[in-house]
Amino acid sequence: MAGGIRDKVAIVGMGCTRFGERWDVGADGLMVEAYAEALADAGIERDRIEAVWVGNALDDINVGNSALPAAHALRLDKVPVTRVENMCATGTEALRGAAYAVASGAVDVALAIGVEKLKDTGYGGLPLRTKGVQNDLWMPYGSAPGTFAQLAGAYAARNGIDAADLKRAMAHVSWKSHQNGALSPKAHLRGAVDMDKILNAPLIADPLGLFDCCGVSDGAAAAIVTTPEIARALGKADPVTIKAIQLSASNGWEMQFGAWDGASVPNTRAAAARAYAEAGIRDPRAELDLTEVHDCFSITELVIMEDLGLSDEGRAPADIMDGRYDRDGAIPCQLDGGLKCFGHPVGASGLRMAYEVYNQLQGRAGERQRDKADFGLTHNLGGSPFNSVAAVAILGRLN
Amino acid sequence: MPRAGSRAVAGWDEDALTMAVEAARSLVGPMAGPVAGPVAGSAAPAAFRFASTSAYFTDRSQATLAVDALALPSGTRTVDAANSRRAGTGALLDALLGGREEIVAASEKRMTQAGSAAQLAFGDGAAAIRTGDDAAARLIGHAVLSHDLVDRYSSTDHPASYAYEERFVRDIAVSELLVPTIRAACESAGIAPSEITQVACAEPVSATWKAVARTLGCSAPNHCETLAAQAGDLGAAHALFGLGLALAKAGPGEKVLLVGFGSGVDALILEVLAPVPGAAEMAATLGEGQILTSFSRFLNLVGAVDLDWGMRSEFEQKAQATVLERIGRDMIGFVGGRDSLGNVQFPKSPIPVNPALQAPEVLEDVRLAEDLATIVSVTADRLNFTPDPPFDFGLVQFENGARVLMEMVDRPDGGFAVGQQVRMRLRIKAQNPRLGFRTYFWKAAPAARPQLGEA
Repeated sequence: MAGGIRDKVAIVGMGCTRFGERWDVGADGLMVEAYAEALADAGIERDRIEAVWVGNALDDINVGNSALPAAHALRLDKVPVTRVENMCATGTEALRGAAYAVASGAVDVALAIGVEKLKDTGYGGLPLRTKGVQNDLWMPYGSAPGTFAQLAGAYAARNGIDAADLKRAMAHVSWKSHQNGALSPKAHLRGAVDMDKILNAPLIADPLGLFDCCGVSDGAAAAIVTTPEIARALGKADPVTIKAIQLSASNGWEMQFGAWDGASVPNTRAAAARAYAEAGIRDPRAELDLTEVHDCFSITELVIMEDLGLSDEGRAPADIMDGRYDRDGAIPCQLDGGLKCFGHPVGASGLRMAYEVYNQLQGRAGERQRDKADFGLTHNLGGSPFNSVAAVAILGRLN
Repeated sequence: MPRAGSRAVAGWDEDALTMAVEAARSLVGPMAGPVAGPVAGSAAPAAFRFASTSAYFTDRSQATLAVDALALPSGTRTVDAANSRRAGTGALLDALLGGREEIVAASEKRMTQAGSAAQLAFGDGAAAIRTGDDAAARLIGHAVLSHDLVDRYSSTDHPASYAYEERFVRDIAVSELLVPTIRAACESAGIAPSEITQVACAEPVSATWKAVARTLGCSAPNHCETLAAQAGDLGAAHALFGLGLALAKAGPGEKVLLVGFGSGVDALILEVLAPVPGAAEMAATLGEGQILTSFSRFLNLVGAVDLDWGMRSEFEQKAQATVLERIGRDMIGFVGGRDSLGNVQFPKSPIPVNPALQAPEVLEDVRLAEDLATIVSVTADRLNFTPDPPFDFGLVQFENGARVLMEMVDRPDGGFAVGQQVRMRLRIKAQNPRLGFRTYFWKAAPAARPQLGEA
């Protein structure tokens, strides 16, 4: 097996727009904002960027497909630009493309940028899309909350957990993220919300209520990656490096074959196991200092804690209620508010997660700063629990 | 036409085709589970006849779609009868005179205008009958009258039914159409009207049969009146459903009168030879269903109101003929595939989903429509557009290994839950009103139909 990319790629600059209802700006403006911050952070000239990966999941909403929207927006001059799309895991996929280009030695400096302009749909939630002319003949048109809500019933059935107890643990997930979002200046939702309000919110997809669902936002995030040697030459003495990026995609097994219990996301488990091996992490509970996971819905984060091996099977609700993943807990999760409160502009989210970990590792997270931050994990999940693409990345410092 | 009682209302995703398939499915093969219907014949029928005045497609054979939905051989002869409420009895008469194994299905879901008498009187429903040599009842006489009495009509320019004065209709129907035709049918059968013991006479207006019976000297009960009171006027399906009720009551040796009305009269005399398989189950369906108490929901279901569904409903799918040709029959027939190790999957794929197999292989056809399944995961989705919210969907598991993400219908009180058993029902999958097209697929419903109870 190949050795992976551990410490072969440094992140020297990142940028992230304020997420939210950005009525003031289009997809091009969002990309420009994130790009400008990343360039300034890296301290490099724009002409040093040799290749670009742009992530955008919903090309029919304003951004458009292909390399061209990013090339136009950033006025990239004859630079190779590749558009990637892997549903909600698109942001991490863009970072993976740029990182692999550097790790392979094909280029010295690459840009990953993710963007989504969701608020031009005219309504809340993600737009309904066809599943393709073949699948349209049989596949139901469930919404995103509808697909993830199914984890709850299956989880409760597998673990013999009372639905009310599970609902309370899910509510704590959202409560915690709202607490964190309030400290996150660029977050979409910055208000703390009490447990009663979360528990009594209108249902979106049983048993998910309004506050079990993440924000649907506009936003962009970007990362400039290079070799550790160039990073040092740029004055980054102990640069943030990528310890691992792994991806796992469904082959239809969960959805078509009768072995899956519906209470976990197998691709998260596969991607995490490979990422831990690539990063050299043997005990994630002891070695990870923070996580930014794909909390599109509260039940998703709950299940992810088990899928990442941070909670024992069936123990995530108890660990959540014990505060294990709160800001002052053993392994804080979503210090920036997560998808839940920072927001979820689909193509940007994976890079937004990396942005928070990148800042935490360098002690730049302001009020949210974690005392010890040596290793941080991002988990980006596309699709649905039964048909998913999971991306897990681990960031640390070179030395 | 009923002035009291109740009427049957189909779900938004049911139409004349789906109800015809539901009525006919127990006539072509075994259904799994404790409430399975009877098997009237194990061999494939030679023909499938579909009768309706409210078929969605006017140039696409519902009978052929039904053959695919029931996974019958493509060599099955298909006939579509329409344009008269008498289409159901006409199709049955043709089948009986042909003397072959056939299925006759009549089905109706007629659009009505809000506030019209028809909206209260009409019901949605279907009936199916299997004919053949080795039958439990036989045709012993018949008579037909073609007579363009315009008691009511619908047309391209006036799709909702337009009715004329009831007293006029009753007088002419009784004296000019029904009495002479029934009398002729009895003569053909060599019996007197008084020998008839069970009747299924579709009435153009209420109290018609009472007048006919008085004139003919027949005291037999008309089961179509019961049907009209409980389910409404089922149009082309009414007489055939009434026949099912009549046959459920009839014992060997009894003479049953079947009358279809509309642009004339079909009168058939049947002699019962043995208990008719399926008749009792057909009668029992009148006690099944869910009570609908919301009038606005009713108006929506019958298409009598144009609601504002918001931006999320601005979503259009176009079914492609190329795709329907390639996989459409597997979809409407709910046909999956069995791999070389015995696992069944849906849909079929070049490389099986079974992790033990990695090479392409040809899967053996396996029909899933008649199998029970168990819910693995489910939710009531309140975000996405559906014409009758919420949108229930989830993963269901079949015992043969197949696992399918499915819509769920006929939501029970309290909703669906993990572990519940479900039965497959053919429904409209998607409709595109702008292009005037529908696709059909199977949805998971509670294994047993709910009982209406006393309410």
